[in-house]
Amino acid sequence: MEVEKISGLKFHKKQDVAIVGAGMTTFKRRLNETGRELSYMAVKQALEEAGMTLDDIEMVVMGSAPDTFDGLHMKGEYLLDGSGGSDRPYMRVFVGGGTGVFAPIAGYWHVASGLADICLVVCEEKMSSSYPHPQSAFKYIWDPILDRPLNPNLIWIFALEMRRYMHVHDIKHEDIALVSVKNKANALDHPCAQVAGKITVEDVLNSEPMALPVRRLDVSPPSDGAAALIMVAPHIARQVTDNPVWVTGVGWALDTTWWTNRDLYFPRYVAEAAKMAYRMAHITDPRKEIDVAEPYDPFDYKELHHMEGLGLAKKGEAPILTREGVTARDGDLPTCPSGGLLGVGNPIAATMGVKACELYWQLAYRAGKRQVAKEVTTGVCQAWGDLMQVGTVMVMSNKR
Amino acid sequence: MKMIEKIVNPKELRHWDGKIELYWIYTSGKAGDEFFKKLKDEEKFIAAKCKKCGKVYFPPRIYCEKDFGETEFVEISGEGCVRAFTVARLDAYEKPLEKPEIYAVIDMDGTDGCLIHLLGEVEPENVEVGMKVKPVLKPKEQREGKITDILYFKPV
Repeated sequence: MEVEKISGLKFHKKQDVAIVGAGMTTFKRRLNETGRELSYMAVKQALEEAGMTLDDIEMVVMGSAPDTFDGLHMKGEYLLDGSGGSDRPYMRVFVGGGTGVFAPIAGYWHVASGLADICLVVCEEKMSSSYPHPQSAFKYIWDPILDRPLNPNLIWIFALEMRRYMHVHDIKHEDIALVSVKNKANALDHPCAQVAGKITVEDVLNSEPMALPVRRLDVSPPSDGAAALIMVAPHIARQVTDNPVWVTGVGWALDTTWWTNRDLYFPRYVAEAAKMAYRMAHITDPRKEIDVAEPYDPFDYKELHHMEGLGLAKKGEAPILTREGVTARDGDLPTCPSGGLLGVGNPIAATMGVKACELYWQLAYRAGKRQVAKEVTTGVCQAWGDLMQVGTVMVMSNKR
Repeated sequence: MKMIEKIVNPKELRHWDGKIELYWIYTSGKAGDEFFKKLKDEEKFIAAKCKKCGKVYFPPRIYCEKDFGETEFVEISGEGCVRAFTVARLDAYEKPLEKPEIYAVIDMDGTDGCLIHLLGEVEPENVEVGMKVKPVLKPKEQREGKITDILYFKPV
């Protein structure tokens, strides 16, 4: 057996892993289709793009966030038939919002280990089932003794984090709002987009205050949707495509769940995850070596926060790069060219469609109107979630 | 407090009460819409046939689970036969039921699928595997497009 030993990692890779097809449904606040139907639609599209049928699929990884959104305990089992999991090895993985990149990481280890040559990764979320608003489900992730009696909600936790980030680096809300303006405009070119639009910094600053400094247009919406990816071994990639995109590094890390004990201005969980992925991908200077990035952007400041965690900007530098147009689709480091969660929508796990799927489409030159202007070889995508302390990172390249 | 100490009532310890208050609205989806509309408005049952392999799904779906082929809706009689049954005598709180309830898996004619539902107009001792049954629906004005629009299945 040939194995690749990567220095510094106890990791023996049996074979390289390529992505050869992706698909996603439209993202909407409310869809009539069931979670199973949404999963089926995304898978069907990914199979078509890869020129495969369900028969070709050996194993399936399902990613879906809390059961409380869809309102089904053991939702992985519920979603099995719609995601092509019947009669084959199937597993669900779940790290909250980080699932959108963690599910393809799980797909990667299925193939890299040699256990499967073809693995389908499906992510689904139907947040509209949760009534009156999916936000109410988040109430129950807090410590029942220390936090919950204060009635926290996610928005005010993020408001605290955003404030801390702004304070430490002396960043103005105007500079953060530019991310929302950019991503919503990018999303105008995405056929699945829920909240695309041409807006201005003033629109963001004048939008409804939610928990200051967070205002309505700083935040992505809840959504229904699904996405799928097909990951294969090199000999399969050669058979089905001339343009495979290789997964060159994966990483994930969890910071403490005592969230008050972290310094909120810097996402260490992303930095640790990125360190692991970059080491595997032999990347030493991410700012120079990464051509396109899809960091997780459920809030506008989070894109900046995560760029700094990913080493794409120095601490406090991401807003400057944004202001200078470096992160625009035609910039030197296009960031969230998909339109991201802020523009396309945020069906938690299914955001794989605008993170891992988008990065694959960009590196395969299949992103259509969203294709970035510069020539691209290597990119990074990242998601974030759990109790706001998991980072999941994947590096891809169109050169092996 | 020792770990081996037996705690009978956790309320005697320092504690906080809590409950998870969540509600859901489940949409019936594409196939479900078609199925329940037909049942409610026309008293008709439909299944879904895979255009690729011919497998007939009941309840209907928009896809074939085995080969991901698309399906087309086909009308079926709604009748079937008992594949398995149980007679429930206790409720969820282990209290005896006033009248035992008979639950059956019903093999739906003309399909490869089954439905779980109640049996009625029959005594438990007279139910047999293989028994032919047909659905009894609520009167039209009471139907809401739900699985409970079928009151029960009765022997043919």
